[in-house]
Amino acid sequence: MQQFLNVTLTGLGQGAVYAAFALALVLIWRSTRVVNFAQGAMAMFTTYLALTVIEGGQSYWVGLVVALVAGLVLGAVIERLVIRPVEGGPELNAVIVTLGLFVALQALAAILFGSTFRSFPAPFDLRGFTVGGVNIAFTPNSIYIIVAVVVVMLALVALFRFTDLGLKMRAAAFSQEVSRLLGVPVGRMLTLGWALAAGVGSLSGLLIAGGSLVFPAYMDAVIVYGFVAAVLGGLDSPAGAVVGGLTIGLLLSYVSGYLGSELVALAALAILVAVLLVRPQGLFARTAARRV
Amino acid sequence: MTRRSRRSALAAAAVAAAVVLSACGAGGRPDGGSGTDAAPAVGITDTSVKIGAHFPLTGVAAPGYSEIPTGAKAYFDFVNAAGGINGRTIDYVFRDDAYNPTQTSQVVNELVLQDQVFALLGGLGTPTHSAVLDYLNSEGVPDLFVSSGSLLWDQPAKNPQTFGWQPDYEIEGKIVGQYVAQNFPQAKVGLFLQDDDFGRDGELGARRFLDKQIVAAERYTPGNTDVAPQIAALQAAGADLVIGFNVPSYTALSQLQSLRLNYKPQWIYSNVGSDPGLVGSLLARFSEGAVTDAGLLDGVITTEYLPGVDAPDDPWVQLFQRVWDEHGGDGELTNYRIYGMSQAYTFVQALQAAGADPTRESIVAAVERSGAQFQGPWVAPFRYSADRHAGVSGVEVARITGGTTESLTPVLVTDNGDAPITEATGEPAAPPANGIPAAPPAG
Repeated sequence: MQQFLNVTLTGLGQGAVYAAFALALVLIWRSTRVVNFAQGAMAMFTTYLALTVIEGGQSYWVGLVVALVAGLVLGAVIERLVIRPVEGGPELNAVIVTLGLFVALQALAAILFGSTFRSFPAPFDLRGFTVGGVNIAFTPNSIYIIVAVVVVMLALVALFRFTDLGLKMRAAAFSQEVSRLLGVPVGRMLTLGWALAAGVGSLSGLLIAGGSLVFPAYMDAVIVYGFVAAVLGGLDSPAGAVVGGLTIGLLLSYVSGYLGSELVALAALAILVAVLLVRPQGLFARTAARRV
Repeated sequence: MTRRSRRSALAAAAVAAAVVLSACGAGGRPDGGSGTDAAPAVGITDTSVKIGAHFPLTGVAAPGYSEIPTGAKAYFDFVNAAGGINGRTIDYVFRDDAYNPTQTSQVVNELVLQDQVFALLGGLGTPTHSAVLDYLNSEGVPDLFVSSGSLLWDQPAKNPQTFGWQPDYEIEGKIVGQYVAQNFPQAKVGLFLQDDDFGRDGELGARRFLDKQIVAAERYTPGNTDVAPQIAALQAAGADLVIGFNVPSYTALSQLQSLRLNYKPQWIYSNVGSDPGLVGSLLARFSEGAVTDAGLLDGVITTEYLPGVDAPDDPWVQLFQRVWDEHGGDGELTNYRIYGMSQAYTFVQALQAAGADPTRESIVAAVERSGAQFQGPWVAPFRYSADRHAGVSGVEVARITGGTTESLTPVLVTDNGDAPITEATGEPAAPPANGIPAAPPAG
């Protein structure tokens, strides 16, 4: 029973991180219709910037702000300089460019920051709570992670659903030409979409690094599982990304805890294939309404 | 790159010079019938011997391990500065395989075919070195002192060129198992294992003494950094003593997860996973603020077979410190560098034992004949013979306290299978005054 509880809780904690990452993917998808495979590498890069700031004697929170701002800037710059030239061409072009970025950023980080394992501090206590003599695998830091993800998700939902800006971003992604005719500055919206997504990606990078070890490839697993989570939830839906992330986190934790850790990657692949076979639009997407 | 090509150019020049010299010298010898004798041995001349190695200098396995060849290089430079061995300087070439078996095959190919090394020394890693095992043996390249405790290196019938060096994981598991059975007879034992030969061999040894006490054996897949489910399973099984056969980064990860679960068993880590310097640096940040003041590794039990930098009064550490100060590069002397120097020290004895004119065949024969008598910083003798190629035969159990270690047992010696565990009888070897061994030619 205690094992079940602990495996569940650590799964939720991991799932929250996958959710944050899936949110970033959803954000870019919604605002630019590109799946950004460089997301993880960008997040890793800004996490290293935060680590540099923190090692320079600043607090975690200064590091967090630096990483988020750096993420926004990095996202905007990459959209303007790298993605813009391939936009409008075949969709695959942008995807291949993001894959190239992924490799390049990882190599650059190894050159700049070294390829060794380094520890990343956590803002809150890493010791689990004890309730009535039972230790549970839930730490103040996991609460912070989950709260941060939920806040970001709510903010994104609000942005897309209740603001003019969100509407313009969705319009720009959905139909560039019509949006332009209606006076939406499409280019600016795309840049903003990338910047916001990279900001959220940076947050997920920081959240998973907190209280653990970082190295240039530490986001690789998160990229894969976050992508599965986003597909599971439907690439269009922020709420779907969060539910998908938590589901993947839980399932993989059960697989690792009860079946063996060597099966984790296999299980993720099985989930991905199953989702694509049974419900390719994801659990929460509303593409059916658009088929008319 | 330029340095490497310059070095190979130099080596080529040296080879050319040696060929010319030996051609001149041949004039004095009786001609005729010397066709086979005249074929020069690969990688060795009258003035130099070239050896190669593969190590992870980049990538996830690089922390710590990338320091080993710098230690070996410093020791060879020290020997070369004193005139080399039998008039030959040792040219040590090490290449990066990033702990990737595909790259290991490639760099070992380069070492054998392009660099024309005489022998390989201390190639690191079980998965990596396995990839070149057949190649080196079929090419007849002496494959000395592999940097891994796998049982694979001790198969002289199949792999006559390959020799292990460090205590294998099975005997380490046996000695730890017996220590636990004697000192914690009531403990419920959990195993935390890397899911490959490393964990399997260690488990094999530990189960000889602890089969009844073991309540859970959890395996992690290298590369998957989420070990929470494994630690939760150990806790749920009620294990109050956990033996880990894992690499250093997973020592840090398992400690962090235990912290999350308020799980406080007695931890025992194998020698590989317990380097206090490396693990401590990974965990230091977490022990500063939120966690306790004492290091997370305090009280952890481990095993040792070489002196460490935490014992600066040890005569071997003093020797290696001198070597590092005189010939080392950047950075401090570390336990990994001591490991590399100790391997280099072993190789020097092998070269001496092979006589005045070593060949690839004669150095292998010499290690088989007199390797068990080699003296050095290791705590127990090697098990080399014509039908055994196994390395150091024992370890001592020690406890980590305040960044240093204290012995819990005398040096315990054993062998694979059901060989008994006994206390080491020999006196610990003292380093020679000039720091260079003097092994007599074998046979």
